[in-house]
Amino acid sequence: MESIKIRKITSIWIITVLTLFVASIVLGILMRLNQGGVLQQSPITFYSNMTIHGITMIGIWFVAGMAGINYLMERYVKTSYTANLIALILTVIGVLMLWAVTLIGKFHTAWTFLYPLPLKVMWAQWATPTFLVAMSILSIGWLIWGISMMTQVLKKYSIAQAFAWQHFKKDPGVKTPPFILISMITLVGVITCLFVAVVLMALYFAEYFSGGSFVNDALLMKNLTYFFGHTIANEMLYLGLAVIYELFAEVSGRPKWKTSWYVALAWNFTLIFILTAFFHHLYMDFVQPEGFQIVGQLASYLASLPAAAVTVFSVWVAVYRVKVKWTLTNLLFFIGVAGWVIGGFGAVIDATISNNIVLHNTLWVPAHFHTYNVMGNVLFSLAFFYWFSIQFTEKIVSEKFSKLILSLLIIGGAGFLLAFYIGGADSIPRRFSNYPAEFTSAKFLANFGAIFATIYLIPILMLFYNISKRCLKILFSSSS
Amino acid sequence: MSKNIVFLLFLIIGFCNFAEAQITSNALKEETNIYEKVFDVPLQLVDQQSASFDELYAQRPVILALIFTRCTGICNPFLVKLKENLQFKTQENPFQVLVVSFDPRDSVSDMQQLAKNLGLEENKQWTFAITNSISELNQSVGFDPVWDSLRQQFDHDALLVGINKEGYITKKLIGLREKGDLELLIGSVNNIFSPTYRLPNQNSLFSCFNYDPVTGKNKPGLGLIFLALPAVLTTILLISISYSVRRRRQKREQLS
Repeated sequence: MESIKIRKITSIWIITVLTLFVASIVLGILMRLNQGGVLQQSPITFYSNMTIHGITMIGIWFVAGMAGINYLMERYVKTSYTANLIALILTVIGVLMLWAVTLIGKFHTAWTFLYPLPLKVMWAQWATPTFLVAMSILSIGWLIWGISMMTQVLKKYSIAQAFAWQHFKKDPGVKTPPFILISMITLVGVITCLFVAVVLMALYFAEYFSGGSFVNDALLMKNLTYFFGHTIANEMLYLGLAVIYELFAEVSGRPKWKTSWYVALAWNFTLIFILTAFFHHLYMDFVQPEGFQIVGQLASYLASLPAAAVTVFSVWVAVYRVKVKWTLTNLLFFIGVAGWVIGGFGAVIDATISNNIVLHNTLWVPAHFHTYNVMGNVLFSLAFFYWFSIQFTEKIVSEKFSKLILSLLIIGGAGFLLAFYIGGADSIPRRFSNYPAEFTSAKFLANFGAIFATIYLIPILMLFYNISKRCLKILFSSSS
Repeated sequence: MSKNIVFLLFLIIGFCNFAEAQITSNALKEETNIYEKVFDVPLQLVDQQSASFDELYAQRPVILALIFTRCTGICNPFLVKLKENLQFKTQENPFQVLVVSFDPRDSVSDMQQLAKNLGLEENKQWTFAITNSISELNQSVGFDPVWDSLRQQFDHDALLVGINKEGYITKKLIGLREKGDLELLIGSVNNIFSPTYRLPNQNSLFSCFNYDPVTGKNKPGLGLIFLALPAVLTTILLISISYSVRRRRQKREQLS
């Protein structure tokens, strides 16, 4: 069904993502070792590493999800190879610029680049404009890709059908596949938050080049930053879920999942709640009206419930007391769903205003978002990468190999995350390059986390080798 | 394609070369040195007494105005406006105004004459002084006057610095300011929390909320439109694409 060109470009995306993932994990381990006192990085090096670690991780798992749904969407509609290629080229340019900005230019605002930090130049003079240009390039590239995929879906399905509204009736007529529903919901969210990024960058550029004649409102900039940042970080999870809905039943030898009224309802609600949940990032901003804070808390609860409940229910039904053909692919999906739910639970705890007073800016924050990424979204994408790689090459994968990979992923991931959670519960602040002696357990926990992150890195390297090797074969093969 | 990439790279490099960082707007300048300690300079007061800065702020919080007596520009209207705005202030929240010359040519008698001209020589709330360590004081409060040899004048901001009884800079105001802003300044030097206020800048067009110091309430601002705009754009895009593909499909069907 899908063209060879789409197959090849998906291979390039996978190799690119995995390469950058390994590099970013190494940066993360170096940061934890520095916090643990084993390494002695300067604060500027630490924060530059933290900035590129965050931006890269968000970027690669977003494009991994996009590449995944683009590939699978070919089963339903013809997608645009040109848009995919433009996104790839602009992503490579943007990423190279960002790595240069942080590692050479020493730009170190953290990936959230909160206003007015990028304008308070404490690094190479060229770094700020280059950072803004790089972010614009990425936003525009991904916007083109997202709009292109949305257009292709709308060529086959009407708006009502794409959102599965006909499933609210007894006889829906046209059946919307869950993959199309979730992809559409996610693409709308992605396009919205990328528009936010474009507005945000335009405001930064306006102030940067105005020579003081135009100044931004700090509250507006913070709202926009998290509207973009929080939303894209969540939407990339939903891209992974779209892949699960398409592949989990298939690789498990079970009947394909169908859209029902409650699946349609849950995902339609998710679209609304996910776009308003970002307000929970502004709990500490007393100038934000109280109403927005309440919306933030409610949306955080409601955003996590429908999609999570429906997905967990669907996965549970698919495996409970039935003979399932377990492979590395569906095991990664299954463990990923568990990690996503645990991380989501940690996120909801933090998004509760009364808890946030205690947990805000502690290690609880990296604890929860690393959980639903390291043990959730990353596993969704790795499952897709692995599944994709064995479609066109030899399928012999030893069971021992799968068991070893999964064991190391779980042990490494759990230990790494545990250090964050215990630190958060102990009120150890995040984003400290070095911990003062008052935080007695901080250094030990940082080193503990670094050791387990290294254990997590081992199966990632094994998968990197295994998957990349297959992807290279696909890339350089001439047959269909 | 490769030509386009090369062109894009040239464009980016050119763009970066012409880029000039904007880091000196008034709003940002008012944020510099906040919560830093003011330099403890020796002061020569107009009543011929000597005092150190820490002795002054230890008695009462200080609002520091930096001027020079030969100024043909902002200094005089700045002090007149300050006097007008402060004349009805009660002692509910104590403070003193310290006027220091940043021009090494100014003498005590120059400052005495200035106090007299303003009708403030008997006012206990106002103190006029000079110092021989003006560069240290300027640096500690983030004040940077530039000498213009052509005009024989300093190019400088009309700066008010709020300093609390511990010697920490709590707030800065640049320009001729209204009573509401001065009240916030006096409140800050007395360590009174200001729940919300917008940084004064006429160039800030898109605030989410506009604070009214008289009512103490926020009103929705233009910035809120930017928060809603992306969702509106996406909705319009979604409907437009759907409409456009349906029209094309219908045309194709009619033709066939």
